[in-house]
Amino acid sequence: MLFAGLDIGSTMTKAVIVDGNEKILAALVGPTGAEHRHLAFQVMDETVRKAGLSFEALDFIVATGYGRINVPFADKQVTEITCHARGIRAIFPGTRIIIDIGGQDSKGIKLNDAGTVANFVMNDKCAAGTGRFLEVISETLGIRLSDLALISAEAEGFVKISNMCTVFAEHEVTSRLAEGARIAEIVAGLHEAIAGRVVNMVRHLGIEKDVVVTGGPAKNAGLVKAIADKVGLPVWVPPEPFITGALGAALLGKGFAKRNATRNQTRRMESVTFFA
Amino acid sequence: MEQREQQGKTAAVKGTDMARKVRGMVKNIYQSAHEAKQAGGKVAYSMIMSQYDEILRAMDIVPLPTENFAGVCAAKRQMDRFLLQAEADGYSQSLCSYARIGLGFDSLRKEGSGIPDNSPDGGMAMPDMMLGSSSVCDPRYKWFQAAGRFLDVPRYNVDVVSPPIRANLEDTRDYYIRYQKEQFRGLIAFLEKQTGRKMSDDRLWESIRLCDEAWRLWYEIDRLRVAVPSPMPSQDHFSIMAAAHYYAGTQIAVDFYQGLYDEVKYKAANKNGVVPDEKYRILYGAGLPPWHTLWIFNYFESFGAVFVIENVYRAYDPVEVPSSVQDPVEYLAWRTFLRVTQWHEKASARSGNPYVEKLLEMAADYKTDGVVFHACRSCRASTLGQTHIKNLLGRYTDIPMMQLTSDMVDLRDYSESQWKAQIGAFIEALAARKRG
Amino acid sequence: MPRDHENRENEDMTAGAKLDELYKNRGVRAKELHNAGAIVIGYFCCFVPDEIITAFDMVPYRIQGSQSEPIDEADAFLEPMACPFVRSCFNMALKGSYDFLDGFVAPHSCDTIERIYGIWSHHRPSPFNHMINVPHMQGPSSEAFYRSELDYFIKSLEDWSGRKLENGKLIKAVSLYNERRKVLRELYDLRKSDPPLVSGTEILKALVAGMGIPGAEHLALLRRYVAHVKERPKPRKDKTPRIFIWGNEIDDAAFIQLVEECGAQAVMDDLCTTTRSFWEEVPETTDPVEGIARRYLATHCPRNDVPQKECSRISDLEQRYGYIKKFIKDWAVDGAIFYIVRYCDTCELEGPDLREYLNSLDIPVLMIEDDYSISTIGQLRTRIQAFLEMIG
Repeated sequence: MLFAGLDIGSTMTKAVIVDGNEKILAALVGPTGAEHRHLAFQVMDETVRKAGLSFEALDFIVATGYGRINVPFADKQVTEITCHARGIRAIFPGTRIIIDIGGQDSKGIKLNDAGTVANFVMNDKCAAGTGRFLEVISETLGIRLSDLALISAEAEGFVKISNMCTVFAEHEVTSRLAEGARIAEIVAGLHEAIAGRVVNMVRHLGIEKDVVVTGGPAKNAGLVKAIADKVGLPVWVPPEPFITGALGAALLGKGFAKRNATRNQTRRMESVTFFA
Repeated sequence: MEQREQQGKTAAVKGTDMARKVRGMVKNIYQSAHEAKQAGGKVAYSMIMSQYDEILRAMDIVPLPTENFAGVCAAKRQMDRFLLQAEADGYSQSLCSYARIGLGFDSLRKEGSGIPDNSPDGGMAMPDMMLGSSSVCDPRYKWFQAAGRFLDVPRYNVDVVSPPIRANLEDTRDYYIRYQKEQFRGLIAFLEKQTGRKMSDDRLWESIRLCDEAWRLWYEIDRLRVAVPSPMPSQDHFSIMAAAHYYAGTQIAVDFYQGLYDEVKYKAANKNGVVPDEKYRILYGAGLPPWHTLWIFNYFESFGAVFVIENVYRAYDPVEVPSSVQDPVEYLAWRTFLRVTQWHEKASARSGNPYVEKLLEMAADYKTDGVVFHACRSCRASTLGQTHIKNLLGRYTDIPMMQLTSDMVDLRDYSESQWKAQIGAFIEALAARKRG
Repeated sequence: MPRDHENRENEDMTAGAKLDELYKNRGVRAKELHNAGAIVIGYFCCFVPDEIITAFDMVPYRIQGSQSEPIDEADAFLEPMACPFVRSCFNMALKGSYDFLDGFVAPHSCDTIERIYGIWSHHRPSPFNHMINVPHMQGPSSEAFYRSELDYFIKSLEDWSGRKLENGKLIKAVSLYNERRKVLRELYDLRKSDPPLVSGTEILKALVAGMGIPGAEHLALLRRYVAHVKERPKPRKDKTPRIFIWGNEIDDAAFIQLVEECGAQAVMDDLCTTTRSFWEEVPETTDPVEGIARRYLATHCPRNDVPQKECSRISDLEQRYGYIKKFIKDWAVDGAIFYIVRYCDTCELEGPDLREYLNSLDIPVLMIEDDYSISTIGQLRTRIQAFLEMIG
């Protein structure tokens, strides 16, 4: 039995294929990008080939993420909240709180004893506390996203960034630079600000251990450390934080197949319009 | 850094000596509540301008003004943890930030079974009751209803009603005053139940006398401020208002304003101005002050611009209650009605808006060169209508006007660079008009 | 026989289609009446009695905004931190959409409505402008005061129109609107089955459709509509989650439709435009104004302060939300979604309290704060779906 999960996020598209023993056979991550109209097809196709399989061999396909409704060949659409919960549960069974920082939104998910979603919060209206915020500000500072962690490691404190509105914060960063603040401390300040924003949102849920941080920005050790400081508990990061949603989607597919959920009868690998 | 800057600049500006005493008076509000609790007295969360101050004083209930506490937190830049706690509890970031701070404080107190460590001015004592009102805005009664989530104490809210501007006062006066009186009577009955004591009319009259005297003196002080150069700036107003609102109905307030009156009179007579070279006189048109960044007044002063008078927190001029009124509660109801309808006649005769009439009179009396408004993102009551007032004012005067936007206590809605740019442009407009 | 059935079916279909048309083309009927010489009185919120306006032989018109039109002109006169529903209504007024109103009545229901009265009547004055002060407190003195305010409103209408309010006509108007309330409750009863016979989207449309037409016309349409819905074939039980929707001014079906599209049944609601505006009847007494005052003052709007009976959190919540418990039980609700149009201080203070109460009844709650615009509603899809996945 083979199950696929496809997570189309606002900036990255992720795909995972697992077998009946929940073993990952293949995983793929690529940029979403507005012009990738055949993206869902391409990513799925590539993942299938990477696993040395054929598309027809997939028993169940679950699509998730912001672009989930644009995947005509999926058997089911499930939100990334439910998928992250399922994916993280497979990696860290004792998880109670998931902090997912996405490209354009961030989420907090609380799991119950059974490991399913008990509650969640979401910030989807504003770039503050998301990957987008880091992206914009690192552009202003002229540094690469992947260098943020290293740079902040050199900081001996942080410059307080009080504006969380991305536009205001950009101004603020520029004026701090003009005042002679060091880039390392500014980057540390940004991590501090995002962590504050996200953790405060997650506090709505009541924070308990274990806490897991996932999503692309979880690769930034500086940000994760800032989050851990705010949470006051150790936080865990999955080995590949990008794919937890897609993994969860694939695993949920196994459950659906087991319960004989209706499959997509017209499932065909063809070009699809994405973000039309 | 900003705080240091603030102190540096404040020292360069000559405010009143009396205003420096206010810090201690404010601190004492919270201190006396803690002391009252220890001595077995009753403490009540309260809202200023609810028109019931004297009733509380006459019954020895110590008022604890929760909005003021929010202002204190902001002035000390210690508001964030309270705001964040309230938001984590589910209160929207667009909700009144005074309420968010108060609810956040009570939530933290409940969570930690005690006053949160290092709370400004020792924090608010646990109240015995919560007394809100519908005067000024909606959150002022809803807040205490919501606070029931954290505080197991009774609440009592009173209506404070004011007739719409076009209402015929002859047709409405009787039933407005009757309702107001009944609302106060209801409050008194509640307080008598809570304290187990009857209210004495004599004590209420005494408290009314003291309150009216303090407010009369305060009015006289503001009349002295027409002097050029300005003897007392708006940042002092935002301090000295504490006596009238938080010590209403006490001798302390009367003595304070007598002292301040003497000082302002002396300064006016000796042309002892706030800044050495007063170039522009500004009217603070509307909106709660930016408690988080009061040093911004000093920034104006660095351009020779002084805020000479303001239309917030001193809401009423003295009124004349008919001498036929013999009952103190009826007096309070009458006074409320007369206060809230003070500008109705003038408004009906011209602009249709009481604030416009008041501001026009202030602009003329105080010879102001410009008007500044402060829009607060989380305060509907003090913000909505500012643009309309500004538009209407523009029909009767050509002085420059500016609306700054942030919040009364939430710093996250404030951008220093934006404000400085806006202020710069405003000063240029003032200068251009002066040049003619 | 079959032919008769067919005829009735057609006629009944017309009732639904007619309501749909009135929902889509709001104001058309009122404009028509205005042009034919009728006096149309526009008002905000749930506190201005339709009964009084109707008894004057005038047409009550509940002012609505538009969630699909951008707010562009209003910002020059009204601050953006005002309730966006009110900003939208005012924006429409500035563009002339409400020029057909012969009267403009604002109740002092909240800070924003109180403030808009002066601004609106300055920029777009109607021939008749009036503000009704509504007490925030409840109790005998508040009822007496509100009654005086209604008497003053009646006097102002009389002075302006030259008409005299007849007690008999007012009594008749009270029973007309009570009848409409009854038929609406009947319609709501048809949501009790699993799945409901009528969707939340349809209900909202039927309600909004009635806000700009004479009560008698709405009642006639509703009667036919209810009869038609009753005839619908009973669908198979489907176990989809049954949702209660709470919030403020939802006068566009887009949000409820989104909830239903996400795989839920919107089975019950408490909104400014729904039950809050009609559920309870006006007591039919010989002094109709007194009954009206009592009924309208008890409106379940968060801007009302329900006094404490005793000092206990549980009793306070029960006192305030006991009526919702009945909704939850009788309509077999599985979960609640709060949809709060931003900048409504009273709703924002109420939300966490009601959530606490519903959680105590084991009803999970999703709290959403949003702008008054359908352009951003799609962004809520993930949250709603995740909530349904969570409770499903």
